[in-house]
Amino acid sequence: MNVKIMEREILNPLADTQIDDVKLNPIPRSLSRISLFNNTKPGAETVLATIKDNLGDYDFHDARKPAGAGASPKQIENAADSELSILALGDCGSCTTWIVLDAIKLEKKGVSTISVCSDKFAPFARELARSYGAENLKIVEIKHPIAGQAPEMVKSRVLNIIPQIKELLGV
Amino acid sequence: MEKNKKVKVNKDCGCSIEDLMAENSMKKGLDPKKGLERLCSGHENDFEVFVDPDIEKTSNDFYMKKMTDGLPIIPPTRARVNKFLDYSSRRSDDVVAVLPPKQGKATVEKIAVNAVMAGCMPQFMPVVEKTVEAISKEEFNLAGVNATTHPVSVCTIMNGPVSYELAVNNATGCLGPGNIANATIGRALRLCLMNIAGAVPGIGDYATMGSPAKYSYCFGEAEEENPWEPLHVERGFEAGTSTVTVMAAEAPQNVNDHRSRSAEDLLDTIAYTAATAGCNNSHVPGELLVVMSSEHARTVWEDGWNKEDVENYIHENASVPVNLADRGGRKLDESWIVDNEVRITRSPRDVVLVVAGGAGRHTMIAHGFGTSSESVTLPLTINGNSVHSITEYKQK
Repeated sequence: MNVKIMEREILNPLADTQIDDVKLNPIPRSLSRISLFNNTKPGAETVLATIKDNLGDYDFHDARKPAGAGASPKQIENAADSELSILALGDCGSCTTWIVLDAIKLEKKGVSTISVCSDKFAPFARELARSYGAENLKIVEIKHPIAGQAPEMVKSRVLNIIPQIKELLGV
Repeated sequence: MEKNKKVKVNKDCGCSIEDLMAENSMKKGLDPKKGLERLCSGHENDFEVFVDPDIEKTSNDFYMKKMTDGLPIIPPTRARVNKFLDYSSRRSDDVVAVLPPKQGKATVEKIAVNAVMAGCMPQFMPVVEKTVEAISKEEFNLAGVNATTHPVSVCTIMNGPVSYELAVNNATGCLGPGNIANATIGRALRLCLMNIAGAVPGIGDYATMGSPAKYSYCFGEAEEENPWEPLHVERGFEAGTSTVTVMAAEAPQNVNDHRSRSAEDLLDTIAYTAATAGCNNSHVPGELLVVMSSEHARTVWEDGWNKEDVENYIHENASVPVNLADRGGRKLDESWIVDNEVRITRSPRDVVLVVAGGAGRHTMIAHGFGTSSESVTLPLTINGNSVHSITEYKQK
């Protein structure tokens, strides 16, 4: 006589995901107007100012948004008044989240984006973008940390990523 | 298996049953080999016995897959999960919410699986389901709450008859251990955040240090001890409506005041305890949870203060000097500055005041997630009708 002992099935607690693909916009070759979307994180202003000073001759305009929550429709409209929006700074969990999610909002409005995230949070930024259907969202990594650092230190770290940004711009 | 095919007997199991059967055959003068035939040659096994998975093994397997909070779990078998599904008014594959950062689909069944793991009773299912629905509201900002480096957790406050029916602790030790509802409802929500939303520490949850409040953070309001209207009534619900309020909050901090005999003195102790430089509210003002013991509440009430007076007073007096306030993760907006101070709440409505706890002259305060999250209160309903007893779910 054979007695077979079997364990009851255990159900999987992990969920299926819902991924809605987002069409990302190429950066126009005839780029002229760039919005600098500042989430007011410490160092974000220096990051964006240094990019502005070193990127080239473009028509820049400033836009602001919250760090730990999404931009308001008005703030998105302001940043969307451009062909490219550069968002900074993702150097923590919630601010990285909303850099990515607001960048996706802009992409859905037809605006190209470049998101600046620190190297400690860039992997999460990419994973989040993938979860929201924007796997190839343009994310540039800057060395962590930025908050709490001297402006000269921040500037030198920004100068290191200028070539990457220029490459994305095709210049 | 082909019909009439003889099954090869495997004697490796060591149970000796096959030997005993052969021996028995010999005693009867029968061919011992015939004793080795199956009782039913059409099946590989004579009996199939189903047993529950080993709890220790399952816990370890799940832990290694990062599917637990580190504590042992109850294996979520189909039978156990079905008992929970009986207490849902939805179908098992209905999607209650899609939760960031992973954009996981929180179906009723996935919520039930995680609630089983947490050690919930099946009757808690409607509450866990409602908390998942509540945290998915846009104003709660779950994407930010889950991923932030800040040690914010999700605090669940229960009001109304179901809170009492489920014996949710609203008295002595209500923010501590010892009650199955308080311990497991909050834990179930945390497991949903980890397994459905993907808020696994270091993967989708980047809290620099996290918080003990992330294990479980659930309690009821002691409505009968509250001299004012309870939270759900303040938010527009009938007293007999059962509600779940979720608030993004830090771990609670104690306010010990055994001496104040006036409302003003007591509220000063609370306001000064709340007015700390390092909270999110100091540079991005937002909600402040105040869990007042009945003894403290009575002192204030007996001084003639109503709930609105209390909320106004805390709003106006819990403030931080601007030079200390402007050190947070977001640039301080100058519009928050009043007389060189920053109030940690935007308005009196940001003071989320409830009464709970046992005997003793203590209050607990917990800072929120600043301007980045708003608490949400939802009623327990079936087909849009308010639920007065959890048994209504079973009888639906």
